[in-house]
Amino acid sequence: MKNKLLFLSSLVLVFIINLFAGNIDPYYYTILIYIGINIILASSLNLINGYTGQFSLGHAGFMAIGAYLSVSFSTYFAPFFIESFGQGIFGNTISFIILLLIGGIAAAIAGIIVGVPSLRLKGDYLAITTLGFAEIIRVIIQSLDVVGASQGFRGAYIFENGMKAAMIPADMSSVPYVFYSVPKYTNFFWTFAFVVIIIFFISNLMSSSYGRGFLAVKDDEIAAESMGVNTTKFKVIAFVSGAFFAGIAGALYGHFNLYINPEDFNFLKSVEIVVMVILGGMGSMIGVIIAAVILTILPEFLRGISEYRMIIYALLLIIMMLLRPQGLFGVQLRPGKKNKNK
Amino acid sequence: MSLLDIKNCTMKFGGLTCVDSLNTHVGKDELVGMIGPNGAGKTTVFNIITGVYNPSSGDVLFKEKSVVPLKPYEVAETGISRTFQNIRLFQSLSVRDNIRVSFVKSINAGFFISTLQIGNYLNEENEIEDKIDELLEIFGLIDVRDEYAVSLPYGEQRKVEIVRALATSPELLLLDEPAAGMNPTEKTELMNLIKMVKDKFKISILLIEHDMKVVMGVCERIIVLDYGKKIAEGNPENIKNDPKVIEAYLGESHH
Repeated sequence: MKNKLLFLSSLVLVFIINLFAGNIDPYYYTILIYIGINIILASSLNLINGYTGQFSLGHAGFMAIGAYLSVSFSTYFAPFFIESFGQGIFGNTISFIILLLIGGIAAAIAGIIVGVPSLRLKGDYLAITTLGFAEIIRVIIQSLDVVGASQGFRGAYIFENGMKAAMIPADMSSVPYVFYSVPKYTNFFWTFAFVVIIIFFISNLMSSSYGRGFLAVKDDEIAAESMGVNTTKFKVIAFVSGAFFAGIAGALYGHFNLYINPEDFNFLKSVEIVVMVILGGMGSMIGVIIAAVILTILPEFLRGISEYRMIIYALLLIIMMLLRPQGLFGVQLRPGKKNKNK
Repeated sequence: MSLLDIKNCTMKFGGLTCVDSLNTHVGKDELVGMIGPNGAGKTTVFNIITGVYNPSSGDVLFKEKSVVPLKPYEVAETGISRTFQNIRLFQSLSVRDNIRVSFVKSINAGFFISTLQIGNYLNEENEIEDKIDELLEIFGLIDVRDEYAVSLPYGEQRKVEIVRALATSPELLLLDEPAAGMNPTEKTELMNLIKMVKDKFKISILLIEHDMKVVMGVCERIIVLDYGKKIAEGNPENIKNDPKVIEAYLGESHH
């Protein structure tokens, strides 16, 4: 009960802040939204890598699926959305909820397709498989003309003869068309509403008896199985719900940036999310959130030397591994130490 | 009618025969010991029963149903639980949470109810909490329930493993070398504990042990394995005097 009140009041707080968000300088506003999106990405990966102990290296792939699917729906089916729900605040809200769910569910389905066969693999093998999956997604998008291929996607042209395309084909240059750009639905409220949702989702799940199954899978699969925990099921659940939220994050990203490019979701994006999780501490919610904030702001200060960003990340990781392998806020497990979480 | 029936079980790893056409059984409310020199295939038998390995041939019947095609978690659901030779506690969980994992299989609240915390969720969690505390009380672990399980002394870790196995409400408990690494006092304590578990929880126990004092002290019937073959079976007195057993196993330690 207390938990639900806290959840609702957090949502109300986000809503109130949103009323004043218009006064924020656009530059800081953009950073704020990216912070929110990165928190969602890092927390959802934390569910897979941190709590369940499965090393996924393809989170950007799920984000890409969410972003591309929801953005193509919002542009290609723009007339449908406008006709059905109108363009008032209420109509836009319903449209956006549908679009976010499309992104999330599509990514979750991809999560099932990738997860069910590959979660039999362990450690490095799973990392390689998920990495390969994300690259496959990126390459497929790069060759799909319907979403702009490697030039990126900014909207759909709907021609008078009913044709739809992301670019004007050479032989159609004389046909009249309407261009539907990506609607800017993402704002402070939606982004941070989902930050609140994912935080409560994970903390509720992990504090339940059911959620202990995930931690048991991470610690010792054989023992977990012997105690009646269906380890495959728990791994798939973690993977699919992680993918779902990555899809939502992608949809939020697409409807904020208004332009998406396959390169936004490349290997380095996946690595960035993994770095957030490792830096914050695998399985530590607060740690991962703080790491997501730091790693979103840090590049802004390093604009002058942005080519070296990945080198800095690598150094950061090495230093972390040497000095604090459990992450900034991770709990170090050493016999003789009391559980401070209790 | 016996609870567990091992029928002509053979387990081969490549050219190595680990368990060789083993026939044996565990009756209801029986406490059976399994002994044998190192590498005799005792733990392999446990792994076959719990579904970790599929036997090369033969069958394992539990309550007259084969458990061979089942996965380990399904075997646990039918009512077989075990402990491990090398302790396998969940290292990132407290004592209480280690035991809580055993309730995962019987929780009604699934994924959605647990995340939304609706319906009967809280009642169920409280019930589980009470059951855990009750078990911990019986085993004298209530004071350490919030400690990391792996931070406990060795003997208590063994105890936590037994409690965790019992929390799945098994009908058959498999104990893999529960006295390993214990000192004589702890061993005596363990013997009393095993007897208490059997009487209080009304379950059957199959126990692997190297320590003769423990085996002879608590077991009603003993199975002796050597090189994967059963070489003797009977009550402790008969086993003690069986020349084959003395030759294979006891002979070496009794000079």
